Amino acid sequence: MIRKLATVVLAFVAAGSMNASADQLDTVIQRGTLNCGVVLDFPPMGYFDKDNNPAGFDVDYCNDLGAALGVDVNVLNLTWGDRIPSLVSGKTDVVIGSTSDTLERAKSVGFTYPYFVFKFQVISPKDKQISSFDDLKNLKVGAALGTTYETEYLAYAEKNGWGTDNYTAFKSENDAFLGLYQGKVDAIISTNTNIATKLQSEEFEDFVAGPFVPKYDDVVGLIAKRSEGAWIQYLNLFLVHQIRDGNLDKRYNQHFGSDAPADLIQTLRDNK
Amino acid sequence: MTYEFHWNVVFQKMPELLNGAFVTLHVSVLAMLLGIVIAILLAIAKMNNSKPFCYVATAWVETARNTPALFQIYMAYFGLGAFGIHLSPYVAVLSALVFINAGYLTETFRGGFQSIPSTQYSASKSLGMNSIQVYRYIILPQMLRRIYHPMTNQFVWSILMSSLGILVGMSELSGTTQRLQSLSFRTLEFFIVAAVMYFIITKLVLISSSLLSRKLFRGEI
Repeated sequence: MIRKLATVVLAFVAAGSMNASADQLDTVIQRGTLNCGVVLDFPPMGYFDKDNNPAGFDVDYCNDLGAALGVDVNVLNLTWGDRIPSLVSGKTDVVIGSTSDTLERAKSVGFTYPYFVFKFQVISPKDKQISSFDDLKNLKVGAALGTTYETEYLAYAEKNGWGTDNYTAFKSENDAFLGLYQGKVDAIISTNTNIATKLQSEEFEDFVAGPFVPKYDDVVGLIAKRSEGAWIQYLNLFLVHQIRDGNLDKRYNQHFGSDAPADLIQTLRDNK
Repeated sequence: MTYEFHWNVVFQKMPELLNGAFVTLHVSVLAMLLGIVIAILLAIAKMNNSKPFCYVATAWVETARNTPALFQIYMAYFGLGAFGIHLSPYVAVLSALVFINAGYLTETFRGGFQSIPSTQYSASKSLGMNSIQVYRYIILPQMLRRIYHPMTNQFVWSILMSSLGILVGMSELSGTTQRLQSLSFRTLEFFIVAAVMYFIITKLVLISSSLLSRKLFRGEI
């Protein structure tokens, strides 16, 4: 009898562990926890609040997603470079980390529909007089390593024959701003949202937001393992609902102080 | 885990990776040479009876050996930056590595020197050698033999630690790898190839060091 019972139990355990058809969506629901990766040095999308808790637009999106799935949310702090390894190694189920949806990257990782659109912008000390992007030609410029704005700057510099001698890469977004603050570089490139947040702080009162990177909208999506089609499908529907149910406006209000602009919503609706 | 490797993305970027590997080798060799020169001076200072020299050398060695390399590189870049001293990423990493190499090698040199019994000095003197001859023929050859392998270790260590240059945006092998992988997100492939390149570099250093030691010491090591 005991032997029979043991066989039955073993069979169930084996069936449970072999559950070959379980995809990421099943895994998350069964686990009861969503492991959500966010870059937490990129305010207002992701940062640590006064009590050292993760906060920001992306963190709120993690929480909205967790609420939709009916599971707990575990926010993991990532650097830009950690985003893909964290997915591949299974540490995160999804990365809500302002990831630009280039076709090159989409060969490696699964993108959802866009969930936000940034502009890339220059920030520099007030005395630097940068009126157009071409004024950067003879200035020392920095950006965070492994970001799309780094790629865009380097491509622009190469196209115009500026060379890369004036360029400095920084390990993280915070280090790039620290380098700018210390005067290691004359200007850095970041996103309009991050620059706007930084300019509100006392440290950056002598700095000013400059020109945008020409002809470039940074359209970003959530990322997950490329093979998880059904999971990505769910995430897409989640993003549609964020707009439809008014969560986008709510989160935008919290972090940017207004309703989401109509052109942003239109871009997201059109999946452009 | 199901992961499809895409190696061709990496091979397309091989010239840039090799360029990064060259910078890695470049900075480590330079850090080693400068480190040796400073370490010799520090070792002499440490064995010296005059207090100020000895204090400076001891402070240097203790700081270099008991704080993380990561911290030292960060201090050379952002720490000095806070005082308006702006080193380029290359110079910041180089100076941090020189600082650490010098700290470790000082102890190696001092240990090597003190491991030769002073009776040998007296014995050579009594055979009619002058001081220079004693060092040239008796002390230094034995000392070099004893510190040769620890020095090689330090060199390998220095090559591997230069990868921390990524912290301050240096375009050595790790920094280049990080930048290239962010373009295509083929993270695993790029880091595996970079690891293989580090392996080859350090292996080459070890093999040539062992060949050189055979020539220098004729197997008596």
